[in-house]
Amino acid sequence: MKRYLILLAVMLVGVTAISVALTIGFCVSTLNNPFFVSFTNGAKAEAQILGINLIVENARNSNSTQYSQVEDLIQRKVDAIILNPTDADALVPAVKDANKAGIPVITLDRSVNGGEVAVFIASDNVAGGRMAANYIAKILKGKGDIVLLTGIPGASATRERTKGFMEVISKYPNIHIVANQTANFDMAQGLTVTESILVAHPKIDAIFAENDSMALGAIQAIKSAGRKGIIVVGFDGIPQGVQAVKEGTEALDVAQQPYRMGALGVSAAFFTVNGLKFTPAHLAMPLFPLTKNNVDAWIAAHPSH
Amino acid sequence: MPILRVENIHKSFSGVEVLKNINLGIEKGEIHAIVGENGAGKSTLMKIIAGEYEPTEGKLFINDEEKHFASPLDAINSGIALIHQEFSLVPQLTVYENIHLGREPSRRFIGIEFVDKKKMKRETTEVLSKLEALHISSESRIRDLSVADKQLVEIAKALSVNSRILIMDEPTAALTLKETENLFTILKNLKNHGVTIIFISHRLEEIFEIADRVSVLRNGELIGTKNIEKVVMEDVVSMMVGRSLKHRFPEKVKHNIGEVILKVEKASSESFFKNVSFELHKGEILGIAGLVGCGNSQLGEAIFGLRELNGTVKFEGQNLKIKNPTDAIKHGILLVPEDRHTLGLVLQRNIKENHALPNLDFLTKLGFIRSKREKKSVLSTIGYLNTQVRGIGQRVETLSGGNQQKVVLGKWIARSPKILILDEPTRGIDVGAKFEIYKFIYDQAAKGVSIIIISSEIAEILNLSDRVLVMSEGRITGELDPKESTQEDVLSLAVKRKES
Amino acid sequence: MSKTMNSDFIRKYGVIFGLGGIIVFFAIESPQYFFTISNFMLISKQSSINALLAIGQMFVILTAGIDLSVGSMAGLTGAIAAGVTILTGSVFWGFLAGLAVGAGLGAVNGIIVALAKVPAFIATLATMSAIAGITLIYTQGQPIWNLPKEFTFAGQGEIGDIPFPIILMAIVFIIAWIILTFTKYGRHVYAVGGNIRASRAAGIKIKSVLISVYTISGFLAALGGIVLASRLGTAEPTAGTGYELDAIAAVVLGGTSLFGGEGWIVGTIVGAYIIGVLNNGMTIMNISPYYQEVVKGVVILLAVMLTSFGKKFWNE
Repeated sequence: MKRYLILLAVMLVGVTAISVALTIGFCVSTLNNPFFVSFTNGAKAEAQILGINLIVENARNSNSTQYSQVEDLIQRKVDAIILNPTDADALVPAVKDANKAGIPVITLDRSVNGGEVAVFIASDNVAGGRMAANYIAKILKGKGDIVLLTGIPGASATRERTKGFMEVISKYPNIHIVANQTANFDMAQGLTVTESILVAHPKIDAIFAENDSMALGAIQAIKSAGRKGIIVVGFDGIPQGVQAVKEGTEALDVAQQPYRMGALGVSAAFFTVNGLKFTPAHLAMPLFPLTKNNVDAWIAAHPSH
Repeated sequence: MPILRVENIHKSFSGVEVLKNINLGIEKGEIHAIVGENGAGKSTLMKIIAGEYEPTEGKLFINDEEKHFASPLDAINSGIALIHQEFSLVPQLTVYENIHLGREPSRRFIGIEFVDKKKMKRETTEVLSKLEALHISSESRIRDLSVADKQLVEIAKALSVNSRILIMDEPTAALTLKETENLFTILKNLKNHGVTIIFISHRLEEIFEIADRVSVLRNGELIGTKNIEKVVMEDVVSMMVGRSLKHRFPEKVKHNIGEVILKVEKASSESFFKNVSFELHKGEILGIAGLVGCGNSQLGEAIFGLRELNGTVKFEGQNLKIKNPTDAIKHGILLVPEDRHTLGLVLQRNIKENHALPNLDFLTKLGFIRSKREKKSVLSTIGYLNTQVRGIGQRVETLSGGNQQKVVLGKWIARSPKILILDEPTRGIDVGAKFEIYKFIYDQAAKGVSIIIISSEIAEILNLSDRVLVMSEGRITGELDPKESTQEDVLSLAVKRKES
Repeated sequence: MSKTMNSDFIRKYGVIFGLGGIIVFFAIESPQYFFTISNFMLISKQSSINALLAIGQMFVILTAGIDLSVGSMAGLTGAIAAGVTILTGSVFWGFLAGLAVGAGLGAVNGIIVALAKVPAFIATLATMSAIAGITLIYTQGQPIWNLPKEFTFAGQGEIGDIPFPIILMAIVFIIAWIILTFTKYGRHVYAVGGNIRASRAAGIKIKSVLISVYTISGFLAALGGIVLASRLGTAEPTAGTGYELDAIAAVVLGGTSLFGGEGWIVGTIVGAYIIGVLNNGMTIMNISPYYQEVVKGVVILLAVMLTSFGKKFWNE
């Protein structure tokens, strides 16, 4: 992480030397989700600093919409396209079209399975899953009954977070996953599914929810069932999750840094246009283990939330 | 040797026997009428012959060969075609496509099967010319054809698969007089070519005009088969109802005709009728006769507010503007529509709810239904009209046509009508129920209700009305005194063309 | 005589036996956890939001219409109730605003259907999308939280050990049952759905009936949306997504005809419970979520086939 920050700092100094105004397309998969809102805000702020004209396109989770948005940007001859793809396969032709037109493509949060991408920036979800599992194993001293609330079945975030989590947890024979259910990254489902699970299991030591919304639903369920002593671990670091960490209801939040990710995407695009080549072409956004101990410092460092 | 013979046919539905021991032979090349009141089992018997139902017991022979029909297709392959009241044609397709539906001739071209349109059209024209129906283009779409032409296409379809036995279920129900005559000419022609026709109808006059023999069913039993020359209508009626009905019409009841209650002046509505003026008196039975499409039904609907009416309407001496049925109902002007299924009843609801629907204004208090009062109102009209029901909670779709019509009449009686407009009040209704509806009309007139009867059954209009108006092409072409007029007088006014 | 009685009987009570069968199955599989009073209380609470939406939906379906906008309506009204509560500091104004917007947008649906004569499916598909958009604009894509305690009472509160959402569901059910069974208005709803032309000829004001059923649906969707936001303590920008399908499923499971004119409100509640019991029971048994979706689909199909096939069977 440090390495990149230094790199960026060095580059930012050079910015003043380049004064041609750039136009960059920013294709976000959806703005229905606080994560992507924060992510887009970060990109907008960075673009303003760099004097970039940023065109934000919202695909509203539709592959075809996003494809035609990319086509439009190619028509407008933008200098670069930052793509947060709605789907890894469906957007391959769009990336190939941009490659043909000689427009560099930067992918954020999710990548595409084809075409040439100048740089791909994403949180390391597998590492995040491991982080959650290690934390739970440590607190429970390698022994206990836990619940796994997974995200939308088949989504890459679900797959990777589950993979990292299971990798670590399977090393502890005395930790039992007593319930493994999906709540589709949705708060209301996180609530109802946890309510039902609590009925079936009088003793639960920890719950890992693969995003904060589900974790918050689970916390609500625990509260209304009057249960105590269940460790809840969430993922993403959305403001409400951060608040729950501060209040002590969420023990650990594996926080992403969407604002920084959006900003990094814009500066990476800026340098690509100016001839810099990223090797390797994959930047992993670090995840942050947010707990009660460091939450105040985090809040202070993220006023834009 | 009969071409078709059924032996000891029984049929039950969930334990209820609807056909009992039917033995019947149909001769080759005859027109054989089947009559009976609704629920007598006519349709069930026909459906067994056409392979739509399997009999619970009994045998079926064609040319003395025993047959088992598992599906309508088996019956069609044995030369039997059933032509329903609801046609089995696809409205969006053309005449030739419908006639060949499911057995399109094809031609191979470069190894691919193509539909042979030329052959389809040629064959269609051939079969239509046999029926002398070449005014129908083989390329017309079914939805653009008149009911009569649809029926001809249906017959053509049957003939094109070499059907030798045609079963026709109420073929004239929706036809005009002229179309009916035309159909009869065609049927007689087919008969002369050796086609056997089984003909179901409620209209006894028609049966006496066209059939060679008539079989009467009652309560699932075959009462008898008679040569048409050897019976008179009254015999057939008494076989159908099981008792002797001296006349088809009840004895006239004296009723006083008072002052003018409704005065319609220069009324028109779209293209349906124009410049219609007439008066209706209190307690009068006014008949408005005419062929189907002459505008008499639309006139009734316009007075009731279902259509726009231009012109003046005076009710009890005051100018009255009726914008919708709500206005008409408020003034006691009520319509019993021609098509009770689309305009008269909510079929999936029960008798009580249908009865109460327009009467909730006086059957509720603060929006809540007064169920005792409601029940009383339904029961008293059911008693008055002699409606045959299992209970007031019975769904109206399970009632016979006559009893459904009584539910429609009943809901209006409950509001003490001033003017009752009856549009084809006895269409599709069996003889017994017809008689009761006629009695009801007299009774209402005697109570001072003014009645307009709109009907294409001339005998009905002449027998019931105090005064008859005849319409043709949207105009009133004449007024008749029914006591001094014949059916021919009415007909000649009904076919009168516009003077140019 | 017996045949129509049987078909009506199956149509009306079949769904109750279906629910009974599902309960017996789970009770055998998990007697100590599933078959307990507290779990039934929980199922009732979980089913309450769907039940509220389904009751509104039933009014619309009885008139042979459909309201696809109830899910997004619940999302918007929940957000408005939360937003106005925070803005004014008063839960009263918050709830009132949410309910008013629900009823108002419901009336808009009704006007589009009754006056502009747009088919209900298309009209409410369009408003579903528009309302979801309005929610995102209103919330700026961010959840509204940190709501006062009184706000969360509607979803989390209890009166004498009975969760408030259950009480609310019971009250709405009783009022709807009374309206549909004992009032002039109820009769008009059934009649318009059964035969719109005959209803007009019986002097019923068709347009006001149509507008009113969509208004009721919007209002109850708002009530459901408020309970949802209150239960979560958060109004999420995408709350309610897909809820219209569960509501329609509950109504159809309950034996209401999609062609209008026929339906029993007890069936609708039972339909909502079937969905709730399936979700709860399968989660308790820790059945894989992949299989849960399949089971739910099959159960809905079986139930609908039972009612329509049963009807055919008895009529033969």
